[in-house]
Amino acid sequence: MDHSAYVDAAAATLGLKIAAEHRPGVLQFFGLAANMAALVQGLPLQPHDESGSVFHPVPPQGVERP
Amino acid sequence: MSLDDASVIAARVRAGSGSARDAVAECLARIQATEGRINAFSATLAERALKRAELIDAHPQRHKMPLAGVPFAVKNLFDVAGLPTLAGSKIERDAAPAKRDALLVRRMEAHGAVLVGALHMDEYAYGFSTENTHYGPTRNPHDLSRISGGSSGGSAAAVAAGQVPVTLGSDTNGSIRVPSSLCGVFGLKPTFGRLPRVGSYPFVASLDHLGPFARNVQDLALSYDAMQGPLHGPASDDPACAQRPIEATLPLLEQGAQGLRVAVLGGWFREMALPEAGDAVDAVAQALGTTRLVELPEVERARAAAFLITCGEGAQLHLEDLKKRPQDFDPMTRDRFLANALVPAAWVMQAQRVRHWFARRVARVFETVDVLLAPATPCVAPVIGTEWLQIGERKLPSRASMGLLTQPISCIGLPVVTVPLWGMSSANPHLPIGVQLIAAPWREDHALRVAAQLQAQGLCSAPIARGL
Repeated sequence: MDHSAYVDAAAATLGLKIAAEHRPGVLQFFGLAANMAALVQGLPLQPHDESGSVFHPVPPQGVERP
Repeated sequence: MSLDDASVIAARVRAGSGSARDAVAECLARIQATEGRINAFSATLAERALKRAELIDAHPQRHKMPLAGVPFAVKNLFDVAGLPTLAGSKIERDAAPAKRDALLVRRMEAHGAVLVGALHMDEYAYGFSTENTHYGPTRNPHDLSRISGGSSGGSAAAVAAGQVPVTLGSDTNGSIRVPSSLCGVFGLKPTFGRLPRVGSYPFVASLDHLGPFARNVQDLALSYDAMQGPLHGPASDDPACAQRPIEATLPLLEQGAQGLRVAVLGGWFREMALPEAGDAVDAVAQALGTTRLVELPEVERARAAAFLITCGEGAQLHLEDLKKRPQDFDPMTRDRFLANALVPAAWVMQAQRVRHWFARRVARVFETVDVLLAPATPCVAPVIGTEWLQIGERKLPSRASMGLLTQPISCIGLPVVTVPLWGMSSANPHLPIGVQLIAAPWREDHALRVAAQLQAQGLCSAPIARGL
């Protein structure tokens, strides 16, 4: 699959300049990430299959637990 | 010149039959004598270390210090007071020097150890080879034409070269286990969240682990035990820190593998390994008397999940520098960081969900097994500059492939001890290869006990490289 249009648009949106000499490498590695994405997207998940990334609330210092 | 292990040095200093100063001076001399061939150190701290050693020698509680006078060094992503925290980069040379040591450095020194230097790594920990363009490759002490592995390449090489008995490194996708395997030393990647990361430069915060390297299991457990314990400052200094109490492992080592259920990982972990890696696992299984085979579900997807989380978090961290000064990145990492900065959020969020799905499935496996065996790397150390690796019909990029077998395991934060075996490669019998001893979360003791037994049986060892 050709990702060049996405790569160019996303880079412009982020304000990231991709020099001509780096573009082939960037496209190659983005393609690798896309292959990995196909693998994770290929696992059917249910809405309750939550993320492995969990936020921990930060209590104020010195406050005892009720 | 003394090249003693940590336990031996500490026992001597505690008893007063040797001094910390002598141990540190011998270590500094060894570094000076060998460093030109290895290139493990980015900084040595002779003045600080000798001063610290003298304080240990004069300390009234010296006889109680478990690491009394033990020289150690750290991957240069750990803060060291007075030094910029390079994290293997050129960019961070411009950073202000660290004001204080990383928490784990302080904990090691509080137990009597003496920091002697900082060690090379792949830029921002993004690599498995330590062929760092800015600082030159760190060479494998057992064959100087070969890579040390990475990203904690300096940490493994320094131990294998006998420069220090203990080092610290980090492991996001395999960066303790890969260099342990290729340099033939013992390494421990604890459970994700076990050791606090305060004062270390992050790579991928939701995957980063810290841990020790050593030349024997006792030294590994001794160092690990010294670094355990909850944060006493704000827990938000490391949101991933699980705030576990100290669960000492050293006193448990003598139990060996007795009573532990051990199985070999099949599927992906056999398919992505060359014969020397499979043979090493078989040798360990035989020594432990197990023939049980276990397969984990969807390992390749779990590896992909770790890959994408690494892409998203790792690149975002450096986005401003990627915009302003891309020319200052190592060519070994630059195009990857640039590409990764563009990865859509949907891919990364799905990867986080797959990660949790995989962790829940693997937890079920650990209901009937205590330790799983898998190769740490697909092969022995490649020659520096190697671009491709052939595994069966697959031609794969060599450097990235060093983490094929570690990445699915760190993805779900399991504790792993890597143990080194020798003579497994008929073409390169002088090179080591590591086996991962993988335990359930928070059961580092299980993996360490099995490692201790394999060491006692003589199957696993970490001799200092000869001829340096």
